[in-house]
Amino acid sequence: MTIDQFLLMKNEILLIAIAVIVLIIDLMTDNKKILFPVMIILFIFTTVIGFIYQTDGELFGGMYRSTPLINMMKNILNTGVLIILLQSAGWLINKAENHENIGGFCFILISSLAGMCFMISSGDFLMFYLGLELATIPIAALVAYEKMKFLSAEAGTKFILSAVLSSGILLYGISILYGTNGSILFKDLNNSVEITNLQALAFIFILSGIAFKISLVPFHLWTADVYEGAPVNITSFLSSISKAASVFILLILLFTVFINFSEIWNELLVYLSILTMTIGNLFAIRQQNLKRFLAFSSIAQAGFIPLGFIGGTSLGASTVLYFLLIYVFSNLGAFGVVSVVTSATGKESMNDYNGFYKTNRGLSIVMMLSLFSLAGIPPVAGFFSKFFLFTIAAKQGYYFLLFIAVINATISLYYYLLVVKAMFINENEQPIEKITSDVYAKLGLAICVLGIVFTGLFGIIFDYINTLSKGI
Amino acid sequence: METTIFYIFAIVILIFSVLAVTSRRILRAAVYFLFVLLAVAGLFFLLSFNFLAAVQLTVYAGGIIVLFIFSIMLTSQVNDKLEPIAAKKIIFSLLAAIAGAVVCISAIMTYRFSEPKNIEVDAGMKTIGKYLLSYGENGYALPFEVISLLLLASLIGAIMIAKRDNT
Repeated sequence: MTIDQFLLMKNEILLIAIAVIVLIIDLMTDNKKILFPVMIILFIFTTVIGFIYQTDGELFGGMYRSTPLINMMKNILNTGVLIILLQSAGWLINKAENHENIGGFCFILISSLAGMCFMISSGDFLMFYLGLELATIPIAALVAYEKMKFLSAEAGTKFILSAVLSSGILLYGISILYGTNGSILFKDLNNSVEITNLQALAFIFILSGIAFKISLVPFHLWTADVYEGAPVNITSFLSSISKAASVFILLILLFTVFINFSEIWNELLVYLSILTMTIGNLFAIRQQNLKRFLAFSSIAQAGFIPLGFIGGTSLGASTVLYFLLIYVFSNLGAFGVVSVVTSATGKESMNDYNGFYKTNRGLSIVMMLSLFSLAGIPPVAGFFSKFFLFTIAAKQGYYFLLFIAVINATISLYYYLLVVKAMFINENEQPIEKITSDVYAKLGLAICVLGIVFTGLFGIIFDYINTLSKGI
Repeated sequence: METTIFYIFAIVILIFSVLAVTSRRILRAAVYFLFVLLAVAGLFFLLSFNFLAAVQLTVYAGGIIVLFIFSIMLTSQVNDKLEPIAAKKIIFSLLAAIAGAVVCISAIMTYRFSEPKNIEVDAGMKTIGKYLLSYGENGYALPFEVISLLLLASLIGAIMIAKRDNT
């Protein structure tokens, strides 16, 4: 192998290098605070490199592939994780009980991101499965990070058990596919899969395994408890980065390996989408805990994604990417505010946010923008991404699905505005005191706000993604 | 003869895997699971994948089960019994299991498997070792490295959970 070939894997190699550097610094010094700025600088470097240097090609006999579109997916994930690392700085550095494990926290988060990158780049089911496991299993340790809290430990257990169950189902599907086609390479399968009972069953198993990770209804039951028990930053990681990575690989699988099955998955995804949107919304309305509320809202948001898959067009693929890019910004913006407030005061309930605007103007405006973007209110980016998804469904003639989606978008508007109302209008005699967040958190929130405001206004971003997705 | 041996192994696997998940004593479940792994090794021998069978015996039956038993001994009392499961749960899980089995078996029975093309596969240690570390066509160097990263990350996660807090 030459150096050019190695550079195809630049993103993964850099990420693993950062993870190892973090580990070494962690071993060598007692002052864990040094570790954080070093890692952030390295990580920003990696993210920027990802945008500048494009790669295209295959390695290891087709086991690893890289295209400009896959690069873009990795860039979205990198940016998201950068925001999460910035947001978790306050929680990790300012709290004495979290000092001990800063190194472990960062190592696991970054290696899990590397796992996602391997998963998206995979050219066969072996690498896909390994990437998926690398992205999932170590995260269970972070979900149970606050192990002295009962909820956190419980969430860790639930997370690992449901992850193992879904992997089991997925593996069974893969093994059936191997048994019937004699290969696990995507490019071989692409030609040989055909609709028979057994292969359709294998496909459904694989789809359910991935739907577990995206937490589409009816595979969502683990989500609420895990999201509530995990530390806020891990919840935001699970609900945006993990979800986005799983959607990306689902996109690649559906559009390449299972393109012959499009009749089956079109229909399946319509049902999954309707169920997910409706049930996610119905539960989100009733939540009082803000973390749990955002968890259910993220389930409902995931329900909109299948709209872009319908028809299997490359325009649909770019719409899904665009939606996720904006979703990552808006979701992380909302979670970022919750994270700042929780680590400063420990308050998570929605009533605590009454009168939040009077004391914390900046934070409440960020929260408002994020929620507007999640709800899809016109000037901010969330409107455009949802609108494009609706257009894809309308073009394919799925009017009933579109109708349900629009109703659900309206319902979601109600509960997002409920939070905004609490912050701006509701009176409170003892509002949350003025919080001064650290530089890292400010930077993280600033990136989110920039993303929310500008990705929608500049059509060039969507056009750029659209040119990439031609070569899926 | 081969078919008979296959069915014997298959029945052993079936019985002991059901016992492993239904047993109320966790240590017994681990031992039942050991028999499942042994029978799987037997299947590999039957297919004359001798190296794979040896790995299955040493790593799974030898190593992993011993680790299981160690961690069970360290974390719980040997005589601990799980609570009996409610009848409603048993009925529903039975129904789910039977429905799943019917769907899978009917799908498998109706599928017309094509004849395998190359029955003679060189599964010797030398070939396996060569492919495990080669990086060209059919090389498995990348998965090998990713697995090592996965193990490292899991190890660090496990240490984070298990270590005592000093603060």
